[in-house]
Amino acid sequence: MTMTMSEPATAPDASTPAGMLEGDLVRRARHGDLKAYDELVKRYQQRIYATIYHMTSNHEDANDLAQESFIKAYSALKSFKGGSTFYTWLYRIAVNKTINFLKQRKNKYHLSLNDIDFNAEHDPDLMALISDKTPLRDVGLSELQKKLNEALLKLSEPHRMVVVLHDVQGQSHDEIAEVMGCNIGTVRSRLFYARQQLQGHLAEYIKPT
Amino acid sequence: MNESENNFSELKRLLRLKRHEVPPPGYFNDFSAEIIARIRAGQSAAGGNLAGRLQDQAPWLVSFLRIFEARPGVIGAFATSLCLLLLFGVVVAEYSDSAPQTILTTASSSQPLASSAVVADASAFAPGSEGGIAISTNASLQPVVTLFGQPNAASLFQTAGFTTSGN
Repeated sequence: MTMTMSEPATAPDASTPAGMLEGDLVRRARHGDLKAYDELVKRYQQRIYATIYHMTSNHEDANDLAQESFIKAYSALKSFKGGSTFYTWLYRIAVNKTINFLKQRKNKYHLSLNDIDFNAEHDPDLMALISDKTPLRDVGLSELQKKLNEALLKLSEPHRMVVVLHDVQGQSHDEIAEVMGCNIGTVRSRLFYARQQLQGHLAEYIKPT
Repeated sequence: MNESENNFSELKRLLRLKRHEVPPPGYFNDFSAEIIARIRAGQSAAGGNLAGRLQDQAPWLVSFLRIFEARPGVIGAFATSLCLLLLFGVVVAEYSDSAPQTILTTASSSQPLASSAVVADASAFAPGSEGGIAISTNASLQPVVTLFGQPNAASLFQTAGFTTSGN
C-alpha cells in the first residue's frame, strides 16, 4: 500500500455517502451529518496520516495528530467558506497542527517508524539504489530508512514539510504554496535548500552524479 | 531548474523509500470510526455543560472570554476600565441631579427671565409679571394641591410652568 497523492475513487451510487461529491459531503457534514463526515475522513485519512507521519517520524504522534486534525476540522466546518477545496483546507489544518506540535517537541524526539511494505523490494528505483553500483550495497532497507528519517528530522519544519509534500507525497508547487500559505517562489527556494541539506546529511548513501 | 532536478535525482530516488513506510495492517479500518466516536463524545459533553452551550449559542462571547485566559494584565486593565466607567456613571448621575438646583439658585437672583422660570404652581400665571416668556419643568415630583389649598397626598405630578411677562 503506497501513500501517494491520487484522486479518491468515487462509487457510482450517488445516494450513499461513498458515492457523493466532496461538496455535497461537506454541506451535509456542516449540518451535523456524521455519516457524511465519516466518508470525508475515509477519503483523506491515509494522506493526512502519511504527511504527519513523514513529518514526525513517529507513528503514535501521527495517529494522535491526524485524529485531532479531523476533529478540529469538523468543529471548524462552519467557518469553511469554500474558497479552496475541502482537502486543501483540511491539509492546512493538519500541517499547522503538526508544525505547532513539532515546535513544542523541539529536538526531543524518538523514532517510531512504520514497517516498509513488501512493494519496496519491487521498486526499481530503490533496487537501483541498493545495487552493487552504489555505496548502498551493504546497507539494508531498514537501516537506510532510519538514516533517511534522521536526516529529515534535522531540517527545519517548513523545509521538511516542503520536501515531504513534494518529493514524498507528490504534490505540486502550487498545491504546497496554497497549503503552506506562501508563494511558489518560497516553495521552490525552500525545496532547493532542503534538498541540499539532505544531500549533505545523506552523502554517504547517495552516489555522486 | 531541470539541472537542479538532475542534481537531486539520487536523493529523490532515495526519498521514494518513505512512500513504502506504512502503518500496521488494518490500521485504517477503525480510524474514521474512532474519530466519529470522539466527535460524538465531545458533542455530548459540550451539550451537558454551560461552556458547550455557550460555544453553540454565543461563540462571540466565548471568544471574548478567551481573551482573558491567562492574561492578568488584560484582566486588570478590563477591571480598571469597568471601575472607571462606573465612577464616571456615578459622577454624571450626581451632576444631573444637582443641575436643577443650580438653575433654581440662578433663577432667584436674576431678573426678569429667571424669576418666571422657577414658577411651579398656578400663581405663576399671575398677571403683571415682567419680562419675556419662560418655560420651566421641575424635576422633582410634587403633591397635588386641591382647589381648597389642601395637599393631596395620593397623587404626585411633575409641574411645568409657562410664564408670559412684560408687554
